This record gives sequence, structure tokens and C-alpha cells, in this order.
Amino acid sequence: MVTLTIDGKEVSVRPNATIFEAAKEAGVHIPVLCYAKKLLPYGACRICLVEVEQMKGRLIPSCTTPVTAGMVVNTISDEIRKVRKTVLEFLLVNHVVECPVCDKAGECDLQDLTYEYEVTTNRFKGAPFAHETDEVNPLIERNMNRCVLCGKCVRVCDEIVGYGSYSFIERGFDTKIATAFDRGLNCEFCGQCVSMCPVGAILPRPFKFKARPWQVKEVDSVCGYCGNGCTVTLGVLKDKVETVRFNDKTGVNDGNLCVRGRFGTSFVNSDARLSSPLVRKDGVLVETDWDEALDVVAKGLRKAQQAKGVGILAGARLTNEEFYLLKNLSGALGTGNLDHSGGQCYKGVTEGLDSVLGLRASTSTFPQVEQSDFILSVKADFYETHPVFGMVVNQAVRRNNAQLVVLGDKKAKFSKLPGARTLLSRPGLETNLLNALCFVLLDEDLARTEGIDNLEAFKAALASSTPEAVAALAGVDAQQIRISARELAAAKNAAILVPYGMPYLAAASELGTAAANLALLAGVVGTEGAGLYVCGEKANSQGAIDMGILPAAGALGAPQMLDALSQGNLSALLIAGEDVLSSYPDRETVEKALKSTGFLVVQDIFLSDTAKCADVVLPAASFAEKDGTFTNAERRIQRVRRAVPSPGAAKTDFEILCALCERLGRPVEQASDAAVFAEIVRSIKGYEGIALDQIGAQGVVWGGENLMPLKKNLVSVEGAQPLSAALSLITGSTLHHSGTLSTHAKGPLSVCPEPFVEISRQDAAELGVAEADLVSVQAEGVKLSLKAKVDIRLPKGVVFIPYHFSQLQLNRLYKGQAAVAVEIVK
Amino acid sequence: MFKEFAKGLSITFKHLMPGHSTTVEYPKQKLAPSARFRGLHRLVPAHQREKCVACYLCPTVCPAKCITVDAAENERGEKYPRVYTIDLLRCIFCGYCVEACPVEALEMTGTYELANYKRADFEFTKERLLK
Repeated sequence: MVTLTIDGKEVSVRPNATIFEAAKEAGVHIPVLCYAKKLLPYGACRICLVEVEQMKGRLIPSCTTPVTAGMVVNTISDEIRKVRKTVLEFLLVNHVVECPVCDKAGECDLQDLTYEYEVTTNRFKGAPFAHETDEVNPLIERNMNRCVLCGKCVRVCDEIVGYGSYSFIERGFDTKIATAFDRGLNCEFCGQCVSMCPVGAILPRPFKFKARPWQVKEVDSVCGYCGNGCTVTLGVLKDKVETVRFNDKTGVNDGNLCVRGRFGTSFVNSDARLSSPLVRKDGVLVETDWDEALDVVAKGLRKAQQAKGVGILAGARLTNEEFYLLKNLSGALGTGNLDHSGGQCYKGVTEGLDSVLGLRASTSTFPQVEQSDFILSVKADFYETHPVFGMVVNQAVRRNNAQLVVLGDKKAKFSKLPGARTLLSRPGLETNLLNALCFVLLDEDLARTEGIDNLEAFKAALASSTPEAVAALAGVDAQQIRISARELAAAKNAAILVPYGMPYLAAASELGTAAANLALLAGVVGTEGAGLYVCGEKANSQGAIDMGILPAAGALGAPQMLDALSQGNLSALLIAGEDVLSSYPDRETVEKALKSTGFLVVQDIFLSDTAKCADVVLPAASFAEKDGTFTNAERRIQRVRRAVPSPGAAKTDFEILCALCERLGRPVEQASDAAVFAEIVRSIKGYEGIALDQIGAQGVVWGGENLMPLKKNLVSVEGAQPLSAALSLITGSTLHHSGTLSTHAKGPLSVCPEPFVEISRQDAAELGVAEADLVSVQAEGVKLSLKAKVDIRLPKGVVFIPYHFSQLQLNRLYKGQAAVAVEIVK
Repeated sequence: MFKEFAKGLSITFKHLMPGHSTTVEYPKQKLAPSARFRGLHRLVPAHQREKCVACYLCPTVCPAKCITVDAAENERGEKYPRVYTIDLLRCIFCGYCVEACPVEALEMTGTYELANYKRADFEFTKERLLK
């Protein structure tokens, strides 16, 4: 620790802190424009100049100067005031003063400083900037006439996002921030630059002219899309969620968000939202009131339970409290047929993990990844499913020189990061590659084998998984596998990332097991700083696993329920928060099952394809309309808060489930989210001792920062065989969408409005397909026609279709396989 | 003492003479208010549109919360008040809105005859305020 004096106050700070950071700790305010907590020091704006006794004769920029012992700093004096005022005058020479029409006014750093330093006149004269504004894209508006050249957008796009859209162009007075060749912005549209801009140069277009910052009510909540669990601050105006505000004081995401989180909340205000219960009468769904709808549901479910039984399926975007009540409901009905999100994928990966480590969750927390020196990403599109966690990986790569190795079937965003090594395999062979990595660790005696059970049998089973054999099968370089394994073994803090979700159903259990085996052998589990991360696709995937939304012993899981329904062995199905028909694999089976269901109840916020088949549709509330908790992919329990009322008569799933439990004769004793959370704490393993009030801005990680394995038991798994086909279709997530929910949000839709099939350049040339051509993808008599997108991400012979768009009905082709043999016809 | 008494009364009688009255026979006769009188508001027109840029400063400063503004983007990409309404039943004629306006788009006129028969008539919309 270094001790210095700031404005007469003694402060002790870490040795590599800057004067600005030390002052902040001492509670001394120094104005800044170009400084941001998460970015590297830059020193562009010269507003933060201070006096240092030991460096007399000039003023020192406090945001770039490191502290030294015994430093005596003055942060304010007449001289400093004069200089800061002059700096502001310089900035205002060319700055177009249009505060009345600028949306930033009211929270503009330049405006605030101009007011504070009373810059009422300007001694310097110059022509105001006359740059053209960039309004080409639908989400981010850039007006460089308001820019103060702090470079925050340039740096955040490079350092945090790793995209590099912006750069300074021209010199001297003509300097400005521009995109490549000064064309319009065309990027990931994460809007990080919007959140960083201290002035009104970069603004969110969907919120243009909507309101002034001071009129917006801010509600801290958690994003409802992916398992990353980013905290969002919803900007509420007249009971509508209009925008997402920048807030880097809550959560672990440092104010970082992706396009879904920042621009994807408009589905909450959608006119298509369900606002009253619907009951099927004479074959048509008609609006009714809650009493009637609930009576029909209770009667129908009770009758069905007495007949052949009831099944319950949930989505993974309900809160922990709602999951708990759903379990109560299954208890009230006396059924163990309970499952969520397709069953296999979530259950598979976590069961695989469980068999090896005795755990069903990530072992460490996201901030630890920033300090990693080796990161292994299983599946290429980890960034696409969990963008903000991807940004943490990017920081580890850029700031900590971490080696990133990607096992996957395409070269997605991660493959572009500096020094990233992609083991580009044929689709569905990640397990084989993980086995080969295990083989090298054991073969070269690099594995940490002390205290590990079942080692000999594992070695024997692994005998055929030599890097050479796997490399030949998967089409990768054996030497690269060996190098990667050696680096993994040598790493001090390694991280292994495994995403799971609806598009990755194939061999999920094998993948989870193989990843856990590797984590165990590489010493990644149980070591502080290192970790195995299993990251669910949806906001509360981890919560669903923790709350046990899984079939009871001997009861039916999701696929078995669907089978039983189509064979008439199950009488009713209750679906809460999932468009089963659109997102489950094998639409034909699901369709048949839903059609033959005697009594189908759907709780949802939209009249989805699934809801259209239902006998009763109960309108539910979105994440912005309820209180509760989500558990994210690193086990962090965070509070979701109600920001707006639900449309019409819609109720939260919590209220619906409470009412159903009551009608089914097992009322919830204390129907408040706090009481149910207390119940969860009493009964759920890992949640012991957590009080709801204790869940503050940073959330609470159950089980602690590092989760120790309960056992160390290697389980051998067979790798897969590659599909031999001229064209293999793989599915997955795009960066702009998450599940099917984001296809109701204007922001993501404006960037990625329709389904597409991504084809490699070589294949496109062979097929004679150009960008945006309408092609049909065919297999087994199913024909999908959609636009082509030609890119260099995919290897030859692989095509990719994202699974988000329900209108495409991709699941008529995708039946849970790793890859589907298809034909493409122009 | 009588002298002072007479002097005082002479002033009183002088005011009783025609042409010396301070009151006027309203409504037959009306006084012109001074230039800084705070009467009915007026939105100042500019070329093709109102001068107001919908900055929301007047509804923010208004102590009576009687101003409703809703901004929007016009076909030229400019910010303009789609809705600008003053509820005169709530207005206290303090003039803060005029003071806050950064573009001098709002002024207060000498119109003080604001009585009406219906509540709705006290809602001064943008069109009425622009007159």
C-alpha cells in the first residue's frame, strides 16, 4: 500500500493506483471526461489536472499518473480552476451547443462541467463542427458535432467488446471519430459506446426524443434473456419500459450489455402481449375472466390427474420463487412429471458434471476469468450465447495475454480475438476433442491425478482417443491438440467454458462429462482463480436446476412426456413460459403430442404457436413486471424488480401458481416472494443462510466464490462419429437473439429481422448462391426456404441456421442431432 | 387646523371631478396591461413550424405542473412538440416557463380575459397557443 496526501487527507491505496483512483477512494471529486472505471487510463481530455507538490511547475493529469509514496496532491486551486475552465473553452470552440434538442442534456458531463466552472463566454472563436450525422443503422445515432474526442467509444469497442468499430481519423482540428472508411456504423450493436459517451455524440436511436433523463424512473433489475445475469437498470416512463440506462455500480457486468439487453426490452410493451385469460369454447379461444379460467384449469388438471396423469413443462425464464411454486403445484397434483426447457440439454450437461464432480453448477465466478491465463471454450459460439461473459474473456485475452482455445464447428467471434486458436472440427465432435485433450494430459504425465478415482479404467477407455486418431476424425491438427493440452496443464488459472441450451441437445451429457473429466485432470476444479463454467442459455437456467425442476424418480421427463401424450398415456399438460412448438426439437412429434393432449394449459406472455393449441391460455408477466430472484450461470442470485404493471389482466406466474395451488387444495401459506424465498433457503441445498435483504447490488453467490467438488470420479465417455454428408446443417444462437423471446423485441429484430442460412464461401461458389439469395434447405422431404448469408465463419460443407425464428419451423429439420444432412437448392 | 382640513378635502373633491377617476367601467372600457404583464401564454411561430424545440424545460420548472409536452421527430429530423398543452386552470401565471425557455419560444401576452364555461376550454393546445 502507498500512502499519499490528497487535499490534506491521508490516503492509503494499492501501489498501481492512479491519483484519480486514490482521490476517489478518499472521497475527493476530480472532474473527468475521458476516464472510465473499466477502461485503461488514456489522458485525452485534460480536465482532471491537479497539482502535485513534488512535480511543481506544471499540472499533472490525475487519471494517468500513478501514485507514489508521500505524494502531496492538491485537486483544486485558483490555477487549476483557471486551467480547467480554459480546457472547457477549448472544447466549446467547435462543439455545437444544441442542448435543447440533445437527448444527453441533463446527464451530459460537458454540460455539467460548463455549469460548474461557469463557462459563460468563450475567449476563443472557431467555426462549429459541421459533420454529417450517422443515422444509417436503426439503433445507434452518431452526431460527431457534439464529440469531445475523449476516445471512450474507441476504447470500449476495442478493449471490452473486441470489435473495433471506431478509430480517430484526420489530424489536428479535423480529428474525428469514424468507422472504417467513414461509412455508417455496422457492428454488433451492443451499444457499449452509447453507454460510455460523456456527451450526446452517440445516442440510442430507439429512445430518441422520448424524454429527458430526469423524467425517467430507474429500476434496477436483471436482464431476462441469457444466463449471464447482467444487471440492467430499466428506464421507465409513464409505466412503460422505454430504455435501459447505464449503471456500472450493480452486478458483475460493469455496465456492459449486449444488443439484446440494451435494445431488446421493447417486447415488454408489445401490443401482441396477452392481456386476458383465454378459454377454448366450441373450438375457439375466447376471452374470459380469471375466476372462470382458473376454475377450468383446476377442474381439468384434477380430472386429468385422476385419469392418466398430468405433466408440467417450464421455460427457464421464471424466477426461483415461481419455480418453487411450480414444484408445489406438481406436489398438489401429485405428479412427478416435471421438467424444463427440452429436458436433455440442461439436464444432460449438469448430470454429466454431477457424475464426475458431484456438482451441478459452475465452480467459479465470472470476475475470476478476467485473471485467467488459459481459456478453453467448448462450442464456437459461446460469445453469441453469452456476449457479456464473452467480453470478460476478451479482457483476459487482451489484458492478461490469456491463451484462448476454441473447440467448435465454426469460426465465430472468439476465433477473431488476438492469438485465439480454433480447433475447427466437424460438427458434434467436441467430446472427442475433450477426450483427446485428456489423453494428452495423461499421456505426457501432465495431469493432476492425486485423489482422483477411477483413473485406470478411464485411461484404458481413453486408449483410442489419441490426438492423432481424433484429429483425423475431426479434421483438426493433432499437434494443435497437444499444444493446447500442454498449455492447459501449465496454466495457473485456467477456465473451461461450456454453454448449454436448446440448440445443443446432441450428446449433452457426454459433453458435460468430458468437460468435467478434463477440468478434473487439469486441476481446474477446486482451485481458486480457475474454474469450469457451465452456462445456461436462459436467464434462470441455473435456478431451474437448483430448484429441481426435473422429473422425480421414475417420473417422465420432457421428451417422455411428449411421447406419452401422443400415445395417450398422459391426460394433461401445463406449460409455463415456453413456446414448446417453436423451440423444442422435432416439431412433428411435439405437434402430435400437443394435438393429442386431452387438456393443455399454457401460461405465456404472447399467444405463441404453442398457446394457440391450448385449451386454456393464462396471460403471464414479463421479467420487468415481477419481483423475485434469478440465479445466473455463475450461481449468483440477483433480484428482479417490478418496474411496470402488467398489461390488462395479466398476472405474474407467481400469482397464477398461487391461485392454482389454492384451487387444487394446497394453498401457499404466505404468498409473497420474500416468504417463498425464505422457504427456498430452508429447503434448497446450497441456498442455506441467504437472506433476501442481504442480496445487494452485487447479488449473492451461493456456495461461495469457488465451489469445491464433492467427488473426483473420472467417467469415460464415448466420442461421437461425424456425419458424412456433403452439407451438414448445424443450428445455434446468433448474437442478436436469445431463445424465441427476442423475436418480439424491436431492437434485435431491426438488426436481424429474419431467419437466414449461413453458407461458407466455397459452398456458396459451388452452389452458385450469392448473399441474400432465396434458397431452399431440404432434407427428408422437409423444405425450408430462406435467405442465404455468405460468410467466412464456416468451414466448407457446413451450413448454419439460427433457431430463434418460430415462423421458419427449423425444428421440422432439427431433431436434436449435432448435425443434419441437408441439400441446398437455389 | 381648519386650513389643513380644507386642503385635504380639496384633494378628495378634485378626484370627484369628471376625468379624475382611477377605476374604469369594465367591460365597456378596458385597460391596456403593461408590457411585462403575465397573461395568457403564446407559442412563438417560426418558419413553417413553432419555435419550440420540445426541450422539456418548461414542464420541468413549472411549479403547478400544468404544462404537457410530448416530443417527436418531424420529417426533417428535427425535434418538435407533437403535443404542447397548458392547463390554465392549474396555471399560476408565475412566468417561470418563459424564463426557462432556452429558445424564446414561449411568451406571455396581455390577454387576461380567460373565463370560460367548460373545463375543456381551459386546455390550451398547441394550435390555440400558436394563435
